[in-house]
Amino acid sequence: MSKPILTQINWHNPLSPWGAKTTDIPTVAATDCSDVWDANTEYKAKTYKVGRLKHYVIWPNHGQRMWTRLRWWPTRRNLLHVKGLYNRKTLVAEKKILDRRPIYWAICLLLIAMGPMLFPASMYNTMLSAGTIFGIFAAINVCWTLILGAASIFSLASYAVVGVTAFVTTYASIQMGLPWFTLPILGGFLGLAMGGLIAIPALRLDGFYYALLTLGLNELCRVFFTTSKQFGSASGGLYGADSFLPASWSPEAQSLLSYYSALALLIAALFLFRFINGKRLGRILRMAPEKREAFAAACGVDYRKARVTIFIITSAALGFIGGFYATLYGGTAFSIFSFDTVLLGLAMVTIGGIGKAEGAILGTLVVTFLDKVLISWGPMRMFLIGIIMLGVVLFLNTGYFGIKKQFNAWRDKKRGEWRSMRTEKGGEALPEEATEEDDKDVLYFLRFDKMQRDYLKGLICPEIIEEHRRQPLGQHSAALERLLMYFRRAPMDDKYALHRNSATGKFKIIAFSGERGVSPRVVEDREYDSIGDGYHAIFMRRVHDLLES
Amino acid sequence: MELSFILTNAIVVAAIYGLIAVAVSITWSSLGLINLGYGFVFSFAGYCAWLMAQNVSEWPPLVAGAGILGGALAGVMICLVVFIPLHDKPNFTTRGMIGTLAISLIGSQALLMQFGPRAKALPEIFGFWQVDIGGVILTSDKIGIVVCSILMLGFVVMWMRGSRRGLEIRAMMMNPHAASIVGIGIRSTGVYVMAMTGAMAGLASVLLSQTYYVAPFSGLTPLIKGVSIALCGGLGSVQGAVIAAVILGLTEAVTSRYLGGQYVLITQFLVIILILIVRPRGISGLLDKAREQ
Repeated sequence: MSKPILTQINWHNPLSPWGAKTTDIPTVAATDCSDVWDANTEYKAKTYKVGRLKHYVIWPNHGQRMWTRLRWWPTRRNLLHVKGLYNRKTLVAEKKILDRRPIYWAICLLLIAMGPMLFPASMYNTMLSAGTIFGIFAAINVCWTLILGAASIFSLASYAVVGVTAFVTTYASIQMGLPWFTLPILGGFLGLAMGGLIAIPALRLDGFYYALLTLGLNELCRVFFTTSKQFGSASGGLYGADSFLPASWSPEAQSLLSYYSALALLIAALFLFRFINGKRLGRILRMAPEKREAFAAACGVDYRKARVTIFIITSAALGFIGGFYATLYGGTAFSIFSFDTVLLGLAMVTIGGIGKAEGAILGTLVVTFLDKVLISWGPMRMFLIGIIMLGVVLFLNTGYFGIKKQFNAWRDKKRGEWRSMRTEKGGEALPEEATEEDDKDVLYFLRFDKMQRDYLKGLICPEIIEEHRRQPLGQHSAALERLLMYFRRAPMDDKYALHRNSATGKFKIIAFSGERGVSPRVVEDREYDSIGDGYHAIFMRRVHDLLES
Repeated sequence: MELSFILTNAIVVAAIYGLIAVAVSITWSSLGLINLGYGFVFSFAGYCAWLMAQNVSEWPPLVAGAGILGGALAGVMICLVVFIPLHDKPNFTTRGMIGTLAISLIGSQALLMQFGPRAKALPEIFGFWQVDIGGVILTSDKIGIVVCSILMLGFVVMWMRGSRRGLEIRAMMMNPHAASIVGIGIRSTGVYVMAMTGAMAGLASVLLSQTYYVAPFSGLTPLIKGVSIALCGGLGSVQGAVIAAVILGLTEAVTSRYLGGQYVLITQFLVIILILIVRPRGISGLLDKAREQ
């Protein structure tokens, strides 16, 4: 705010044309009262041009085709949650896309499918094998995030299920000569059995007891398979299962085939995710998040059954993936059971955000890229994965795909803080009081009164007080006149007055009660000889009260 | 003869893993943090002891002290990096667990980069001597390990019972909200708890290195064993952890005597699962939902 300009407000005696003696009385310089008005009514919050807008994609549309759109056959659900509407300004028919996620999914999956064409030639083979591993691990993680997120069973045994089924199907294939296409199916049944077995403790145990138990289970599997002679304790793994890769093909064609089969597996896992998380089971469990199970149970939701169902179905899927893994690589290494695999898997799931398919895929992409493509970095890359994992856990509530929600919540919090910081108190009513006041006129009066007091405070100076002392009544300068007008207009309760006991007695200051029938109170014992002294004493009291307010 | 040998072995191993189990247990019950970073604490303490033996002196108390101090240091580090920033954030339990796992990953890789994959041996702390008690031959390291763990455990229990800090920690175990209301700082208590439990893991590391070696990833098995024992005994209970350590040690001894060494883990896990199905919060776990974050 610029420095207030002092102006001379002179008072003109309205009777001067008729010969009144006093004309202009010199007065103190004061600020213009419109400055106070401007200062009180200006908007002090810092404003920005950009607000929070959600940008929707809007297509033009012929009015007669308002309701024609692509639908998922045979349901009535449409592809992008498209909504028809008329533009409120132009009244043109439009189509608004409310859900853009399928577009992003299609673009990303297309990019993955086009991967082999985009890989640089120097790293082609590395990238292709890393891509295959990415597909399989992403499928595993999508299933796992279903267990962790949708079923909220904190199981760390997913890689154990995959590993066990891979080993057992490889063993069966070697021993009984099973063809490749039976392995995933056999694995599925094995996974189903294992899932049923692991789910029994889950019925009784709480989240973290179960997590630690499954961690131990993983270690148990590792020790069992690495020490048993049947599963090749000497060779670091079991190999020799029937593979679907034709031996007559060139190595490049074989790795291309494995890349695309892994991609197909990933897409199948995504469909499984969609059909569990987005349908009845997922919706039931969305009603029964952690710590609100009792409420869901009271509503008739059998959340335990739903959780265990998801767990078992997903275990069967993991078993299928295990069988697929066995037939893709012709066997498995013990490293699938190692603690590092579980750790990396947890990193993959955490980075993107637990409970989201896109999170599992993004996390797998990041970790696989660091782990398998940047092999030349040595132990440094594990270090980097650990740092990323730690950073995500420390700063993000629900991984990368939770950033938007977390940021919006943080911004709302900050907004509230800023708003409360700039709320003015003083004469104005607080916002919460304002809503409770029926007579809104009172609020405007309070606001105006505050401005008036702000202005009048600026007028008080020794010159004015001296002027009043010389002449309490009669002709005053403009500034003093304004002050006195304000004082005289004060409400009756606690308004000062002079009291004289008898016609010749002295004056005392009293204050009215403001209520009919209730006598005024004596303000102070001091007595004044003349009425002028009394007026001035009252004036000084009022000035004091004004400056205090 | 052979049974007694296996039995003494089991007791020794149970004493070491019991230390870690009690550490895991106390951390969980007072801070609500599932600390899976003890694997790193374990290796870190081992390397501290090794560095002390290598560069300064092989005097046993000094080596053990270096291990204990290293463990406490690593514990405080985990507390500062994971517990203090996270303890009031949403999803603390999950995020805390994943955070300690990340620390374990980073720490092990850092140790690997610094010291290489080769295992290091610590000097023999307890010398070479043996006692024959009724036909059972006890070697010096076995007696030393058991005595040291019991001493450490006794010291911790005394400290928890008798000192002001111990009172604070026990108050946190009972009701963390009420404890913070009456003026017990969650963060400062977290530092004490993690330092103390880290020291226990450090001692366990020095003791276990009498039979095994110090390596970047050597903390994993003790961690998993310790966690299973803590789980079986009931998180938050020292007595439970001790009972569970004895039970699992006996299981190990009996299994390796009658079935064979490769079945040890399987029978142990069957026992754990059985105990947990009967008592979902462990042998003497805090009743029902005492500790809910």
